Amino acid sequence: MNWLRKLASHRRVPVFPVLGMQGDEALRHLALSPDIELVDSPRHASVLLVAGEIPADRFESLRRVHDQLPSSFTTLWFRCEPSPHLESVTHIDDLDALPAALVTAYRELMEGRRESSPRILPDKPPNPWEGEGDFGQGGEGMMGGVPYGRPMAMNMEDDIRDGLTLDSLTFRLGPFFFAFPPGMAAEITLQGDLVQTWKTQLVAYPQSLDSVFFIARERPVPIAELELARARHHLHRLYRGLHLAGLESASLSALRLAQNLSTTSTLEGLRRYLSRSGFFRLAAIKGGVLGPDQARKLGGPAARAAGLDEDLRSGDAGYRRLGFSPVCQTGGDTCARWRQVLAEIDQSLQLARQAERDDVSTSEVDRIETPRGPWAEQRPEDASALLDEILPGQEWGDALATIASLDVAAVVESPLGTQTAGESPITNPLDKGVAGLSG
Amino acid sequence: MELLTLFFVLLLSLGIGLLAQWLPMRQQSRPPWSQRAPFLGGGTPDSHAWSRYHIRYYPMTLLLIAFEMEMMFMYPWAVVFVEKGMKAMMEMGMFLAILSVGIVYAWREGVFKWQ
Repeated sequence: MNWLRKLASHRRVPVFPVLGMQGDEALRHLALSPDIELVDSPRHASVLLVAGEIPADRFESLRRVHDQLPSSFTTLWFRCEPSPHLESVTHIDDLDALPAALVTAYRELMEGRRESSPRILPDKPPNPWEGEGDFGQGGEGMMGGVPYGRPMAMNMEDDIRDGLTLDSLTFRLGPFFFAFPPGMAAEITLQGDLVQTWKTQLVAYPQSLDSVFFIARERPVPIAELELARARHHLHRLYRGLHLAGLESASLSALRLAQNLSTTSTLEGLRRYLSRSGFFRLAAIKGGVLGPDQARKLGGPAARAAGLDEDLRSGDAGYRRLGFSPVCQTGGDTCARWRQVLAEIDQSLQLARQAERDDVSTSEVDRIETPRGPWAEQRPEDASALLDEILPGQEWGDALATIASLDVAAVVESPLGTQTAGESPITNPLDKGVAGLSG
Repeated sequence: MELLTLFFVLLLSLGIGLLAQWLPMRQQSRPPWSQRAPFLGGGTPDSHAWSRYHIRYYPMTLLLIAFEMEMMFMYPWAVVFVEKGMKAMMEMGMFLAILSVGIVYAWREGVFKWQ
């Protein structure tokens, strides 16, 4: 065996995660694993991990991503059935065994004991060559021909930039793009780095909340449990936001805090780190302002970050006993939303401490405030359509920061019964009933 | 003789360099088309990603070059002018005439207008 391959087999395993339904649980587990390096592009990966069930309408995209890993690579499927053409790949269901399985697969691949995954798509240009010259540059005049069957991006009609008119480039991004909520895909037209149009084509997968929120819809639950689960949900979102901002160490701190969250936890260390790292001074988080109607439509922390004083916890006798009043921001922009998330984590930890000391439970069952938003008659629904309204006109970086700060995915109707290490120990009798459905 | 030795040393080192690059590459074929496509998280592009834009500073660059060339040649010209006399004067006149075409063009393009 080549000594270089031998050396490479002992490095951290570069894994590109393709997230299916409820696959983010595996992502968080792997992010904290010392042997795994999660990468944001298949170009940097040697192992493709498909985590969670992939709906049939995303198979085609999965095939494209699968074939973009450089040879040699291997594929591992976690808690899902491999799609057609990929039946012969490794399949695993145990979350705790996942990092070890990835390491084993990678070592075997490097040592030549495992064959590289086969390419699924045919090895021919997706579009036939229609240009002239090596790079299609020999077309009509300045138009530059039709390289790879795709016309050159053309000058646009209306200039939305600062006078520098750029060609508009239309493409579809997702559903396996790391900066989007899992499962979301959009058709985007960029003019340079500015978003000209945004059309959400596939909405994000419905997200599962901690089972304690579903139990709270059935019967009173201890507020301490509920608030810890809420703080954990926000910390998970913070992890993705900080990862996007390039603050890898802070994002992992948020994740570690979420994993070991208890009533004695504090947010001070993370808050101090964020202030010092300049996260709140980033230019990219100054945009994405939500109007009052948009904020109301989204609900939850995003609405409160826009100054709307709405929280179903205010109507709960248990919360009133603890002296609860909603915290709000005024800006309504990305920065205000992240400040709101931090403030709500702080508030939740404080409420959890008080509730644990005084043994307080919720009183309302059919009107609960989930970390995603209010759940009274209707559960929080998908709000991806909002992105079509607020993203056009933003620079690309601002747009991604805005998406990360908005929790647009719907909430699933019933819990999925999968628990990660460190998540709420409360078990729901309903879990067993739906566990089979969740796969 | 020394030159010949140096030439062989150069040839040998070039050969070794090229061999060192070629040896690991010899079995690798070009990546398949599906791998070479731009990564869009499973999405597809509509048009080619070559994006063009208007270089606004182009006329200004043209003007800078026109005047800079003029100055570059006028300094050494000034040194030999006394010695060469009328001949140098005529040569510089021709040079400036050609250069002024560029300046006139830039003028027409509106480079002297402050917007």
